[in-house]
Amino acid sequence: MIAPFFKFGAFGDEVSLVVAFVTGIAFGFTLERAGFGNARVLAAQFYFRDLRVLKVMFTAIVTAMIGTFLLGRLGVLDLSLVYLTPTFLVPQIVGGLVLGAGFIIGGYCPGTSCVSAATGRVDGMVYLLGMIGGLVGFAEIYPGIQGWLRTTPLGQVTLAQQFGLPYGMVVAAVAVMALGAFLAAEWAERRIGGKLPGPGSLLEPVRRITPVRAFALALLGLGLVAPFAGDPYRRGVAQLDAKQLALEAGTKADHVWPTELADWILQGRNDYRLIDVREPDEFATYHIPGAVNVPLTRVATDLAQRNELLVFVSDGGIHAAQAWLLFKAMGYRSVYMLFGGIEEWKEKVLFPVAPAADAPTSEQVEFRKRAAVAKYFGGAALGAGSAQAATRIVPPMPTSPPGDVVPAPARKKKKEGC
Amino acid sequence: MHNPAQGPLPERPHANPYLAGFCLGLVLLATFVVMGRGLGASGAFTTAVATAVHAVAPAHADGNDFYASYLGDGSSSPLEDWLVFEVLGVFVGGFLSGALANRLRFKVEKGPRIGTAPRLVLAAVGGALMGVGAKIALGCTSGQALTGGALLNVGSWAFMLCIFAGAYALAGLLRRAWL
Repeated sequence: MIAPFFKFGAFGDEVSLVVAFVTGIAFGFTLERAGFGNARVLAAQFYFRDLRVLKVMFTAIVTAMIGTFLLGRLGVLDLSLVYLTPTFLVPQIVGGLVLGAGFIIGGYCPGTSCVSAATGRVDGMVYLLGMIGGLVGFAEIYPGIQGWLRTTPLGQVTLAQQFGLPYGMVVAAVAVMALGAFLAAEWAERRIGGKLPGPGSLLEPVRRITPVRAFALALLGLGLVAPFAGDPYRRGVAQLDAKQLALEAGTKADHVWPTELADWILQGRNDYRLIDVREPDEFATYHIPGAVNVPLTRVATDLAQRNELLVFVSDGGIHAAQAWLLFKAMGYRSVYMLFGGIEEWKEKVLFPVAPAADAPTSEQVEFRKRAAVAKYFGGAALGAGSAQAATRIVPPMPTSPPGDVVPAPARKKKKEGC
Repeated sequence: MHNPAQGPLPERPHANPYLAGFCLGLVLLATFVVMGRGLGASGAFTTAVATAVHAVAPAHADGNDFYASYLGDGSSSPLEDWLVFEVLGVFVGGFLSGALANRLRFKVEKGPRIGTAPRLVLAAVGGALMGVGAKIALGCTSGQALTGGALLNVGSWAFMLCIFAGAYALAGLLRRAWL
């Protein structure tokens, strides 16, 4: 399993922007080739004059659908890591109707209007300005409709999961449906639009396998094989490199020390995810700031990208170590556990114990720093010799940060969807 | 050689729709394989709008959950975003293809029975509706219909059918604009 390359950490964020630019060039080039920089060509779809929109769109969908199915089945692409926009059925139906209205009124959709504007079409440029106005307007009504936008949630779900069908079966159905739609489109173009099927169309009046017919048959053939080809998802199949794991565990390279984690939080670092695998009630009583609660029983589902830095936390260390092993097996690259768990966090971060009075100065300095950190996290430094008391104290949940230690703001990372 | 006195070079015909669709499908597939995500368009404009509003009225943008969700964590510019760079590429790719096919023209695309001003008003209205619709549906024709369609996403298919339904339902009223 090597793809998606980005999510397996093949390259970082900077390179991904270069990939984005190149992808966009290919996308824009193809849209323009298809004639989608011209509103009249796009609108002709809705008067049965030229059903290009349908043909291009469904050919692209079937091509990419069969491609992902095959690559998933061959074990090249981990399909569970390809981002799926969550479904909110009613808002998406309403949004689709509004978008359809915008399409026939304005003549473009967002992507095609970019191509139109780039080739000098003034209507495309005005359309883009209108869209910017629409977005500003949407932002203003957003607080009022925010709740409604999240109604009828079905989660990140495919048609196969929703209807309990094998993935390959849906692939076949979509391929058959698309071919039927192409034939119906060409029939409608002739019947309603008066356009005779010329070369390059499926209904061209010649009795031979033209290239376009061969292509359609190939897509149909691959689609029809899909139901018998198995499941394209990799589910719970773990692969372990025992030597590598033993090395990491033995050298403690799999650990994050409590004081280290405290420093990360104070620095406002947001390039890691802190996952607390304890039960919800324990989590509610106390948790490290910024942690998310995913109990061990639910942790084996995909919850992050393969190249994200994950830190697992449990009471002692055993559950975190188990989660660590699970995630290593699932192919995550940067997985760590908090050394000693919440217990060690309390001892080392929340309630550090003062060194003996005759300890060297460096130790005293270090302790003063740790005492300030403890105060920030709602704990308190303890006098020398009071080590026994530390673990019995139930730490308070942090309220507001004190003035002397101000953490950098940590806002949520940006989302992946549109 | 082309004689400039004959006016601009004639536009080349558009690509075969099945061939164009196949190429578009390969671009989409490559994006899945390389990035683990799909194509998009409207999200880039949302990021740009959010950034612009934040520059003009920071308090207003921060106080609005919608803008805030597009502004990231503040550790880097919100414009350092995958979709923003992708859409910049769309402009470049569209321009290149248009230039190679002699389709670069400053003109307004419209039906023969509508004036330029009404057509531009309709374009702006359509664009505004598209902006709103895309945000309600969590994506546009690129990010939802095309990408989600290929991934068999339930919401994307419902959305896609509704785009066609909405457009066909209004097509009769807008005949004058296009035919």
